[in-house]
Amino acid sequence: MIITLATLLSHYRRHPGQLAMLLLGLWVASALWSSVQAINASARDSYARAEALFTTGLDRLERQDGEPPTREDFLRLRRQGLPVSPLLEGQIEVADGTRLTVIGIDPLTLPGDNAFAVAGSTAELGDFLIPPWRTRLAPDTLAALELDAAEAEGAEPRLPDGHQLPALRLSPSLPPDTLVMDIAAAARLLEVGETLSRLVTAPDALEAAPDGWRLTRAEALASPGQLTESFHLNLTALALLSLVVGLFIVQAALGLALEQRLGMLRTLRALGVAGRSLVGLLALELLLLGLLGALAGIVSGVWLARALLPDVAATLGSLYGEQVGTELRLPWHYWLGGLGVTFAGLLVAGSGVLWRAARLDILALGQAQAWRHRFRRQLRSMGLAGGTCALAGLGLWAWVASRPPGEGLLTGFGMLAMLLLASALFLPPLLAAMLAGLARLVRRRPLAQWALADLQLQLPRLALAMMALMIALSANLGVSSMVGGFRLTFLDWLDQRLVADLYLRPTPAQFESIDSWLSIRPEVAERLATRSSEARLIEVESDDTTRSLGLPVNLFGITPGEHLRPSWPLLDTLEGRQAAWQELSRGEAFINEQLAIGKGLSPGDRLTLSAPGGEERVRVIAIYPDYGNPRGEVLLATPRLAERFAAPPGSLGIVLRPGADGQRLGSELTARFDLGEDALQDQREVKRIATTIFERTFRITQALNALTLVVAALALLASLLAQARQRRRQLAPLWALGVPRLRLVTSQLAQLSGMALATALLAIPLGIAITAGLVKVINVAAFGWRLPLHLFPGDILLTLATAVIVALLAGAIPTVTLWRTPPRALLAEGEIT
Amino acid sequence: MRQPAMTRPLRIGLALLAALSLTACDREAQRESSAGFAGLGEQAPAFNRAQPGTPLSIPEDHGSHPDFRIEWWYLTANLEDEQGESLGLQWTLFRQASIPPDERPEPGPWVADQLWMAHMAVSRGETHRVAERFARGLTASSAPSRQQAGVTLEPFRAWLDNWRLESRVTDPQRDPLSRLELEAMAEHNGEPFGYRLELIAEGPLVLHGEDGFSQKTADGQGSMYYSQPFYRIDGKVILDGETRSVTGRAWLDREWSSQMLEPWQTGWDWVSLHLADGRKLMAYRLRGGRDEGSGDYLFGNLIGPEGDSTSIDGTEMSLTPLETSHVAGRDMPTRWQLEVPVQGLDLVIQAPHANRWMATSVAYWEGEVIARDRESGERLGEGYLEMTGY
Repeated sequence: MIITLATLLSHYRRHPGQLAMLLLGLWVASALWSSVQAINASARDSYARAEALFTTGLDRLERQDGEPPTREDFLRLRRQGLPVSPLLEGQIEVADGTRLTVIGIDPLTLPGDNAFAVAGSTAELGDFLIPPWRTRLAPDTLAALELDAAEAEGAEPRLPDGHQLPALRLSPSLPPDTLVMDIAAAARLLEVGETLSRLVTAPDALEAAPDGWRLTRAEALASPGQLTESFHLNLTALALLSLVVGLFIVQAALGLALEQRLGMLRTLRALGVAGRSLVGLLALELLLLGLLGALAGIVSGVWLARALLPDVAATLGSLYGEQVGTELRLPWHYWLGGLGVTFAGLLVAGSGVLWRAARLDILALGQAQAWRHRFRRQLRSMGLAGGTCALAGLGLWAWVASRPPGEGLLTGFGMLAMLLLASALFLPPLLAAMLAGLARLVRRRPLAQWALADLQLQLPRLALAMMALMIALSANLGVSSMVGGFRLTFLDWLDQRLVADLYLRPTPAQFESIDSWLSIRPEVAERLATRSSEARLIEVESDDTTRSLGLPVNLFGITPGEHLRPSWPLLDTLEGRQAAWQELSRGEAFINEQLAIGKGLSPGDRLTLSAPGGEERVRVIAIYPDYGNPRGEVLLATPRLAERFAAPPGSLGIVLRPGADGQRLGSELTARFDLGEDALQDQREVKRIATTIFERTFRITQALNALTLVVAALALLASLLAQARQRRRQLAPLWALGVPRLRLVTSQLAQLSGMALATALLAIPLGIAITAGLVKVINVAAFGWRLPLHLFPGDILLTLATAVIVALLAGAIPTVTLWRTPPRALLAEGEIT
Repeated sequence: MRQPAMTRPLRIGLALLAALSLTACDREAQRESSAGFAGLGEQAPAFNRAQPGTPLSIPEDHGSHPDFRIEWWYLTANLEDEQGESLGLQWTLFRQASIPPDERPEPGPWVADQLWMAHMAVSRGETHRVAERFARGLTASSAPSRQQAGVTLEPFRAWLDNWRLESRVTDPQRDPLSRLELEAMAEHNGEPFGYRLELIAEGPLVLHGEDGFSQKTADGQGSMYYSQPFYRIDGKVILDGETRSVTGRAWLDREWSSQMLEPWQTGWDWVSLHLADGRKLMAYRLRGGRDEGSGDYLFGNLIGPEGDSTSIDGTEMSLTPLETSHVAGRDMPTRWQLEVPVQGLDLVIQAPHANRWMATSVAYWEGEVIARDRESGERLGEGYLEMTGY
């Protein structure tokens, strides 16, 4: 048995290229997959820790006048018997410039078991509460404090502002970059006196908000897991794509290794090795290779994840306000899952090989022509399978189309997967037909005819690499067109929404005085005040039907001033833009696209919203795009929002008269009202920040996308390298017949690049179809917004060029060796056959 | 109280108190062996020590004693509604100093050196509703009435949030505790329960032990302890959404100490009785001696209708469990024999309802009892029983 296994494996000693290619395939497939899974697992871990913290899961009370609550407020409400607890939240800067969140709690009044969970073992609660207190933090926060886990316990790091943190206690269940301490310690550290960030209560402990307070229910604060789900699904889809591309390489390598060992297998069978044990041994070989590849893949996957995670964390932070640790935290099932997925993929890729080995005909002769015959049969079955996939894809598409927009994220991905698979399966028959057609055209030119016939012979081996290339190229084109299109739309939208020259965020107390000071400044053309609040969308009445929703939504108030109205983007209105703005000023509402798509709302619908004074009804007049906002939003005119929903003052946009000096106004404002550092920003700065966030959001998408392409290029390269020796053998007779080497080499390169070009040309419509699927189905379902379909000729050309360059590079190495091989050796190659 | 003592694994809040009490001594060492129930057996040399010969000063001693580690204002009442059905209630405010007097922190927003805990309970038949609240406090607070919890003297007021025990006495010559108003409300599964009652004392304050020093161990540890056992009480009790008018008798205990128990004492059984002949009886048994097999510490006070005390020491009385009931996963003695031969008393004390477990962070049993003559079975009175450390 062992001898048989050794015999089988000896093949790889003679063909190390094939072994390398096999392992490469397994390695890249599992590396990309594991890296994305590692990122997802770490992010989920962070969400779970954040959700376990008391900042989520509790109802919040904030003062209606927008002022921070004080200890006096807390005491007054407690004396009324209301079970409120004070919470203080702030930021401190540590030596390396990182900002850490400080959360101060009162464990004695905090609802539930949170406090005790945070305080860890109960005996430590005393230390937590009593001066000099304790700082509780997760081990992955230590890096920011420049401490090792070993020296962390009990350390009292000093901050740049001179404050000293209470002695540290590690608590792995806390979210990253968060320090939790007693409220007295936090108040001292943040120098906030008796003011609080908010009051919290157990969910639904209060039936209604006390007078003068705004109550936000815990369920209105969407949990981080829900918000970011689609983001992670997108990552997973990209990882799956890489896995599939990698498995194509594996399949190609396995197929080649089997072809070349057919003779050996027959000999072994003839020598009496049972067919079943032969299949068993081949399976064992797969297992060994799989283990090797998967381990390498997981190791590099973790490395890759570590490199990508900071970007992911930053993205999630800016998009959803979620803190995700930048250190990997991997649960045990992650490692098993990684191995499992690689093995499952390997089994799928290797099942064909095992099947063929099991049905091995001992007497059949391993000849190229016979092989071609079988390839014809294969082409037919590929066509059939492709047709089936295409039908399945159509079915899914029909289903998605029949659903209301915004549903079917998974189905959408399934549809795209079917589209890719169908196209990949159709590719070899198409290429075969194309080659046959071309061969008829060039009958008079023997060398060209030979080259085409030779390509037809090579096709079975190249087919899989070409399929991988096409999938990678089209997915790459699809994703980059989507990102590019989104970028254009987003920048346009930013320009339309940011009409003021300066944006000011005063404290609620200062708002009135700043506003009236600005109202008499000659350089100010218009002031655009905003407000925001939270509400529950209780009911929707459209036509004659009424639906109960109970959905938490943002309320946002804008000033429909003359500078804002012409540019503010609207997607759909009830009776035109003009009328829409009039209605808004009168008290009706606009809603964002996310809300409209998510809940199937359209202009004309009537919404019932929860308000401090009971319920408020508004009519939907228009729908506006609101990229980057994960939540549904209802837009009202600022004065209406203030009257009806008691929303506190928010920011103030300042539109300047032409030629006015914004900088001078800014510095006057800052000096006069003692504004904080971040209180005033000019429009360019806001745009720059928004654009940076956007770029960062898609950096990881682009990175994964590019990696997929690299995998495909490697697939092609590996296929060509694996058969380089055989190629030389086939070329030797031509050289012997007098064809100059240069022509041989150029015909080689032309063969390959032609084939790649054809593949790329087929990938372009496919890529466009994928873009369409992404912007019309996936984005709508994942984020709630539609995008126009943008095509970028530059990207398309780049795709074509990439294909040809990859093919040329992949062909170059075998060609160079051909060039260098001494004539005698070439002749010798011919004799070996 | 009679405090709670502990032998079983710490519950959360119990541990809270225990942890908070570890201050003056080496905390790490203390943590190794938490002593007595709720840490009440821990040595606390940096705090004031309750000792005999300390004269009490009324009404000042109604207020809090922050230099002592622990203190409580403990009220129990046996009630009857208009239909003649019995009810019971408890209201307690506990104070615990978390830092010895000479180590108190610099005052600042939210800074605490005192921890307050309040318990309330209402019971009727098998129903027993319990609530618990906590608050932080600062000894050096510039505005004591602006704290979340505390006790002020002028006027007398003990409170935590909206739970309060407040004096209604206007005449400065009279004891502020002689007329009180008590109010507390809480919720159980969304149903409110609580009470609002008025208490009028029909007798004087009673000092236990040696002029208010109540010895708790053979080695002389103890507490300052006095009571007002002569309250008539009436008002409203709200239970399961129903409001009932009630009347009855109440008993208020005032007690403070820094180390009440010895570390080896595991808990106690305490009983207070309103006897039908106008007398009151208080008796306790502290379980566990220094050495294996050595005895429990017993003490009692038989109070005449005019408030005169007769101390009863361990040689003159016996307090013996007769029957146990399974409550909250443990066996609790709910039928007792209390014998004071020199006074001609031989009582059987029975808890009509065993379900009076206070599932609070410091958990214990506290409920109504009926006392009968052992021989004749004649009903001699009613009162409250407290058992800790089971």
